[in-house]
Amino acid sequence: MKKKFNLFHPQYAARSWFVLFNTIFFIALMIIMIVPIFKIFCDSMVNQTVYGLNLLPRGVDPETKEVIWFNTIAYKRIITDPQLYHPFLVSIYTTLLTTFLGLLISTLGAYVLIQRDMPGVKFFGYALLFTMIFNAGLIPTFLVMKKVGLLDSIWAVIVPTSMNVYNLVLMRSFFEGIPASLFEAAEIDGCTPMGIFVKIVLPLSKAALASIGLFFAVAAWSEYFHYVIYIKSSDKYNFQYKLRDLFQDKQDASEGTRINTNTLKSAAVIVSIVPFMFIYPFCQKYFMTGVTMGAVKE
Amino acid sequence: MANNNDNMNFDHVIVKEPSIGQRMYKYRWFYLMFLPVAVVLAIFFYWPMFGIRYAWSTYKLKQITMRTGPDYSIGWGNFQRLLTSDPFHSAFKNTIILSFFNLVFATVLTVVVALLINEISHAWGKKIVQTVLYLPHFLSWVVAASIFMLILSAGTDATGADTSNMGFVNAILYNIGIIDKPLDFLTESKCWRGVWYIMNRWKETGWGTIIYLAALSGISPDLYEAAEIDGANRFKQTIYITLPSLMNTILVVFILNLAKIMNIFESVFVLYNSLVYDVSDVIQTYVYRVGIVGNDYGYSTAIGLFKSVVSLVLVSASDIISKKVRGYGIV
Amino acid sequence: MKKNVLKRVSALGLSMLMVTSLTGCPNSDNEPLDLSGGDPNDKPEVISLMADTIMTEENGLQMVCDEYEKQTGIKLEIEKPDHAKYYEKVTLSFASEEPADIIEMGSTYYPELANSGALWDMTEAWENSTSNCKNIVDEDYVNALKINGVLYGFPMAAGNGTITYVRQDWLDEAGLDAPKNYDEFIEMLRAFKARGNGAIPITAAGLLNTETPYDIYLREFYQDAVPDFYKDEATGKYVDGFAQPSMVEAITRLRDAYQEGLIDAEIVTNKTSTCRDKLGSGLVGAFNYWAGMWSLKLQRSMNDGQLTAIPPIEETGGYTERVPTAMAMSIYAPNKAAVFEHFLMYSHDGGEGQMLFTHGVKDVHYKYNADGSCEALPYLTDPDNKVEKSMYAPELTITDWEDPIPLDDMVKESLETYRENRVFATVPIVNDTISQNLADLNVVKNVVVANAVTGKTSVEEAMQYYEEKGSYYANAILEDLNSDANLAAEAEAEASAKGGASDAEDTPDAE
Repeated sequence: MKKKFNLFHPQYAARSWFVLFNTIFFIALMIIMIVPIFKIFCDSMVNQTVYGLNLLPRGVDPETKEVIWFNTIAYKRIITDPQLYHPFLVSIYTTLLTTFLGLLISTLGAYVLIQRDMPGVKFFGYALLFTMIFNAGLIPTFLVMKKVGLLDSIWAVIVPTSMNVYNLVLMRSFFEGIPASLFEAAEIDGCTPMGIFVKIVLPLSKAALASIGLFFAVAAWSEYFHYVIYIKSSDKYNFQYKLRDLFQDKQDASEGTRINTNTLKSAAVIVSIVPFMFIYPFCQKYFMTGVTMGAVKE
Repeated sequence: MANNNDNMNFDHVIVKEPSIGQRMYKYRWFYLMFLPVAVVLAIFFYWPMFGIRYAWSTYKLKQITMRTGPDYSIGWGNFQRLLTSDPFHSAFKNTIILSFFNLVFATVLTVVVALLINEISHAWGKKIVQTVLYLPHFLSWVVAASIFMLILSAGTDATGADTSNMGFVNAILYNIGIIDKPLDFLTESKCWRGVWYIMNRWKETGWGTIIYLAALSGISPDLYEAAEIDGANRFKQTIYITLPSLMNTILVVFILNLAKIMNIFESVFVLYNSLVYDVSDVIQTYVYRVGIVGNDYGYSTAIGLFKSVVSLVLVSASDIISKKVRGYGIV
Repeated sequence: MKKNVLKRVSALGLSMLMVTSLTGCPNSDNEPLDLSGGDPNDKPEVISLMADTIMTEENGLQMVCDEYEKQTGIKLEIEKPDHAKYYEKVTLSFASEEPADIIEMGSTYYPELANSGALWDMTEAWENSTSNCKNIVDEDYVNALKINGVLYGFPMAAGNGTITYVRQDWLDEAGLDAPKNYDEFIEMLRAFKARGNGAIPITAAGLLNTETPYDIYLREFYQDAVPDFYKDEATGKYVDGFAQPSMVEAITRLRDAYQEGLIDAEIVTNKTSTCRDKLGSGLVGAFNYWAGMWSLKLQRSMNDGQLTAIPPIEETGGYTERVPTAMAMSIYAPNKAAVFEHFLMYSHDGGEGQMLFTHGVKDVHYKYNADGSCEALPYLTDPDNKVEKSMYAPELTITDWEDPIPLDDMVKESLETYRENRVFATVPIVNDTISQNLADLNVVKNVVVANAVTGKTSVEEAMQYYEEKGSYYANAILEDLNSDANLAAEAEAEASAKGGASDAEDTPDAE
């Protein structure tokens, strides 16, 4: 009764070849995506000048000829050298602050924007949207920062990053999906607008908060250019800035420390990715929520 | 929503339309809630717009140290200078070339990859593929550029006699025998753009597929069933059903990105260097060098303004196209 | 509903813009700064310094600060931005009106910032100074930093210059002496080329240097040509050196040598590091590079072979001494005259201060042995190398003082050869037109020289191209430089400088 499955039966052949091709294609594509990062990971654990084609996290000690796996000397340097770990702490601090402030601004703004009957709400909406299509430019913004005394202050980086109109609009479209009956019920119970916001809107928007919060966190963690123009004191730089300096500076940060420059650079790259790698598998679905929410909006 | 609210609560009594004052009073708490947003918006986004007037002035370090303020006597001088300046022309040209080709590559690659992901029938396989492909999107431009600098490094030995110091890519090419000495990709005008496109695609292709995958999942299975009954194979189904259904999404994404083409900055800023300004300098990096490094605030504001206006025109054009294509605008 | 959103948004935005632009009021809150020096004895509590080419933090910069505070009672705060972004940070700090009191500045930015009125005129403070520095300093270096007779910065150390190093062993094998004129120089390069094995007779990083002096690395070929603007002594007017016949000759010399294979084929794309690597791997016969410490470093980078620094060939008229790197003072600094005395003068006092700024802290960066001799200690972070300097390079000191740590012979020798034959460069001229056009013009110049030398175009075509693309910028610059107002201002400044600035009550500002 059972028909014997034949891969090369004309009925299946084309499809099977395609599946084979597709599998190979994606394996290749995944390798292309991963190899650069993996290569950097390996180089960060090989403390020697010879690194070219090596794709294993092991190196040979030039003197003893001993094979060393997972040489963590560069990582030790990063966690013990204040010049390197301090920027990392700054990164964590600013990321947390930006995420909190960003969520505060987006939720408050979005909650107000869904009040269709409120006088001036359209004006607010347009005023927000206009900043998406027209901005004053680098220099005028810089000069305002100077006037308000925010130059060389960490807030010059945090506040503009927290005010993301796209995220605010995303949040609004999520709030619009909350059933109106819930608001009515709360209002009848005598809840103030603030009460509704805290007791109903926020608890119902956990998924949106998570996904938009993650967007803020990623943006804040990746922040670089604002540090270039607004921050002067070296104790306020974040890790991205420090990483960039390691790559640009003609003076060798590893000089005299018996750590190969490339090993240190590679380790710094890996360190800047690590926090994200930890949360990424758990948060992937929230990222997806955010982006599909945006896609529906389109 | 709030409007419905009122109607439902009070539809058993006859209410007069409340006056604007009454409505504002009713929403008083909301104004308070909007205050932080309004303050940030006003200070960081609208106040700088005062500064656009510097575009019509001479405003340099001298005006700051002498404390005279910007000198508005030059009129349209900055704009005249901009239109006759070679570096500006080159920056403008590079902006258009880099964004446009990147947009074309992005559209083609992303759609192809999305279609192929959609063909993966193995659920776990699909998930793994997606997880891996999305990953580079979350790395910052600084990290992406750092990774590319490391794997593309030419090493320090310029003679090519010693291959051990080469970066990964050079080592591969050298061992295959394509090159006989390491290439410094990032300081070579011929290679730089290629590297930039590849870096962009590496970082963003996977993430870009999400929107297409969402659109693909929305295509009715009935269409495919009907086609299968008609004897169309998978390839034909893709050509006659899937692609036409995706066309709208493709166009929308294309249009949205078209509106943004003047904005490329950080991806270039972290990868370029003075040796390849001729192929890599874009308007935003030029503004940065003239304004922040060169302290010529008036002129660089003029360049920035020019860019913003072109952007605005592009957005409007996209909006018009969008209305033609799908019946409503982009904002 | 969504139909005209964009239109409305734009209309609203633009009208807001109009309103804001119209109501924007000009800055009126600022009064001019106090530019008088004040009392030189009015010691400040804190001095801030922004510098680039100084000892790193890891090697004990903080200890230098602490030692300075111990010696003078003034707290020293040092900012040392990363080298790649140093000048961005300098200009940014001026833009934010909060620069450090004292800022290290190379010869490109020094006149630029002086021209912007950002630097304090310290001529008077220098003239009136009673410090020991005044007695022991070599005034040539100080004068090299004067712009139209006005001093805006004090030299950290001699500007130094480049000297041509050649492979002595290659010379010997070819049976040649060090070349004395251009013909002998070319003959030497030919002999180097004849060695084969990929030997590069002479290399350099680019055909034109990226900053003034543009011709510094290829003096033998440029000779009397000056690829820059200069004042023609005969007419008293500025001319564009690049458009002069001598420049055509120089380009032709370069072209001929390049076509003959005497110049590194990759000269256009070389970076200095590539050149040094090529030299280190024994491929290069001649290379023009910094005199002094580098003679030792270059020699050490080579596996075998002997480098020697040769005197200049007669056509060049000597090696060029760059304008010294300056320690300039910002106009925002408090107690300016006192900062001048207690920092700049103190650091060149020929004693305790100079020792600190040159060699660092005793028993950390250098030590006295039992026999009374003094030697540098290894770097804190690098036990294999000894401390070269804390802030000022000892071999390039501008004062006549007894440095207890003797110099290496090789360094001394190359410096002596160099100093016998040097010509001081003047601070590059800067004004608004120049800072606006020079970068663009330099791009054109680079293309012209590269095309002509590598044979992409003929020399005539290349000069034609310069005429087409470059003259727009060059003429704008010349017009400004030769304007009556500019020439008159220069003449006046020069006259007042000659007339003795010491008795001039207040020296006119550059403006």
